[in-house]
Amino acid sequence: MTLTWYLVLAAILFTIGAAGVLVRRNAIVVFMCVELMLNSVNLTLVTFARATGTLDGQVMAFFVMVVAAAEVVVGLAIIMSIYRTRRSASVDDANLLKY
Amino acid sequence: MFSMYVPILGLFALAAAFAVFSVAVAPFVGPRRHNRAKLAAYECGIEPVDQPLTGGRFPVKYYLTAMLFIVFDIEIVFLYPWAVANDALGVFGLIEMVVFIGTVFIAYAYVWRRGGLEWD
Amino acid sequence: MGDITAPDLSLAALAPLLFVFGAACVGVLVEAFGPRGNRQPVQLAVALVGTLGGLVSVLLLAGRGEVTAGGALAVDGAALFLQAVIAGLGALSILLFAERALDPARSAFVTSAAVPVGSPRDREQAMSPRVQTEVYPLATFAIGGMMLFAASNDLLIMFVALEVLSLPLYLISGMARRRRLLSQEAAVKYFLLGAFASGFFLYGLALVYGATGSIRLSDVRAYAAVGGADVLLVLGLALLVVGLMFKASVAPFHTWTPDVYQGAPTPVTAFMAACTKVAAFAAVLRLLYVAFGTSEWTWRPLVYGIAIVSMVVGAVLGLTQTDLKRMLAYSSIAHAGFLLVGVIALGAGSDGGGSGLSSTMFYLLAYGLTTLGAFAVLTLVRDGDGEATHLSQWAGLAQRSPLTAAIMGIFLLALAGIPLTSGFTGKFAVFRAAIEDGAWPLVLVAVLASAVAAFFYVRVIVLMYFSAPAEEGPTVGVPGLPTTIALAVTVTATLVLGVAPGPVLDLAQRAAIFVG
Repeated sequence: MTLTWYLVLAAILFTIGAAGVLVRRNAIVVFMCVELMLNSVNLTLVTFARATGTLDGQVMAFFVMVVAAAEVVVGLAIIMSIYRTRRSASVDDANLLKY
Repeated sequence: MFSMYVPILGLFALAAAFAVFSVAVAPFVGPRRHNRAKLAAYECGIEPVDQPLTGGRFPVKYYLTAMLFIVFDIEIVFLYPWAVANDALGVFGLIEMVVFIGTVFIAYAYVWRRGGLEWD
Repeated sequence: MGDITAPDLSLAALAPLLFVFGAACVGVLVEAFGPRGNRQPVQLAVALVGTLGGLVSVLLLAGRGEVTAGGALAVDGAALFLQAVIAGLGALSILLFAERALDPARSAFVTSAAVPVGSPRDREQAMSPRVQTEVYPLATFAIGGMMLFAASNDLLIMFVALEVLSLPLYLISGMARRRRLLSQEAAVKYFLLGAFASGFFLYGLALVYGATGSIRLSDVRAYAAVGGADVLLVLGLALLVVGLMFKASVAPFHTWTPDVYQGAPTPVTAFMAACTKVAAFAAVLRLLYVAFGTSEWTWRPLVYGIAIVSMVVGAVLGLTQTDLKRMLAYSSIAHAGFLLVGVIALGAGSDGGGSGLSSTMFYLLAYGLTTLGAFAVLTLVRDGDGEATHLSQWAGLAQRSPLTAAIMGIFLLALAGIPLTSGFTGKFAVFRAAIEDGAWPLVLVAVLASAVAAFFYVRVIVLMYFSAPAEEGPTVGVPGLPTTIALAVTVTATLVLGVAPGPVLDLAQRAAIFVG
């Protein structure tokens, strides 16, 4: 089995994530799509680590995981604060800032 | 080469023996005092309820705890590789790890002092 | 298992970063253990010691050029120059954060950001004299992240620095005391789009790693010099550039900028407009110069295109704005385009390099100081509901407060690029570098865009000086010491860099060196 399929899978996951960010309306779901993008990057990184025979890719995946966890915490805090006021996590309802 | 695994098998045997022994002996030597808490589904944690108490939503406290858990839990990811390669890394690795744990501890002290760990 | 050799770690070269991050950690400890009563002055002192200490240690390092921390950090002329700019602008922003004389509630930041808007507790805390002090350590962490960003010689460090600077910014942009809904909305938008962009940056990192087997910028450069057309590498580069351009608020990745600049507390907007821009361009310059300098054909058309889009979008949409904060946000987008004109002329491939690098560095310094000052003036003009940022409210301001109008006039003229201000010197340097590099069509577009943009800056000046003041217009607050210092420094710098820019231009010229 070649490594290419892992890269293809990661690219598909990344695309699903990116498309989800653009079309979904709930901030939590948008955020989950971002996480999907980050995890597809992790898959790409470990595949390339295997392909190039270096360990850097696996170490980088660790860093991505830690940063993603920090991002989850900050992001959920922000989404929670807006949700508690508006009772909605839809990004369409957040529409006070316009021209 | 299977001799390498003998200690692990020994550990398995020891763990199994301890578990069997504990379960077998407990009814004979332990005191028997029944109460409501012991009859609950779980002795620790949250009592299951039929209907959501708060309109199907979990109190915000859960979210805060989960958030703190994630952010401290993920630090383990750096501790494991260090623990595995500790001999090779030597003093430098130890110092780096102490600095790392120190910064995490600063965050912990903040959370603790600001009441992030209090349930009520 | 053999011993792993410890990476070389030059503590002297890391001193500025250690200073700033150390101050941020001390700030967190003060927040945890310090008495509530006098936390604000203590936090202000810690943050200022951290940023100014970082600035001083950068200046002491001047002239160094080395790669340290196992090759992850490059402490060279360009990094030190931009780190000094970030630390200095950061210190000025922290002064703006500390202003207590303008708002009746004594601070621009909400006391407890977790309290829902409109709840009884929210009304209670609007009255309370307590002030928010968590912004200082958060801002210090962001400044540290920006300085790390400018020195990162490794794509992974660049990513970590990007997050270290972004995460605190997401939080503090949601902490306005007034118009809290707008502020929270700005934070959500900034966060979601920022996380989206960092996903692109990361995927680019992964592709570059796959193509070259390394994420060290010098290794990428060595690979690109001989590798020729590698689809993976070029795709990776494009994704990295997208991620960085988002942070630098370059059109067409600018959509968050007006909303976030408008919704965030004005001192935070000043901080973002000045420091984030410098940090993002520091990373852009290093990436394009060090990693892809020998393969300019890969990024030149891309940067050429987005420079034009950014200048046109910023200038044209800026015309239609009626809110000053939004107008300055579009001005920031246009200026990002002008900066890219300098980036085009990097000339890393040729011997000795072009003058694009030094002129872009000078432009960043000049623009950072001017825009920070302009946002600082916005905090002065207030009505009952906080800052009065609508254009109509500024009519006839010169009659109410001639000094405020004069200061704002200087900043607007500098942003427009009128001679004898720093904006003109910066634009002239950047355009000349691009013409020397043969990119005259780009410069033509840039000059036209400047002319269009000048219209909306001058419109504000005309409004301030030649309109009758509105009935029940805004009042001009008397700033306390922190804002006064920030304004004095930025006005002086804007004029000095316009009248006698020679020494600073020379300094930028000498500092325009990348190692790695």
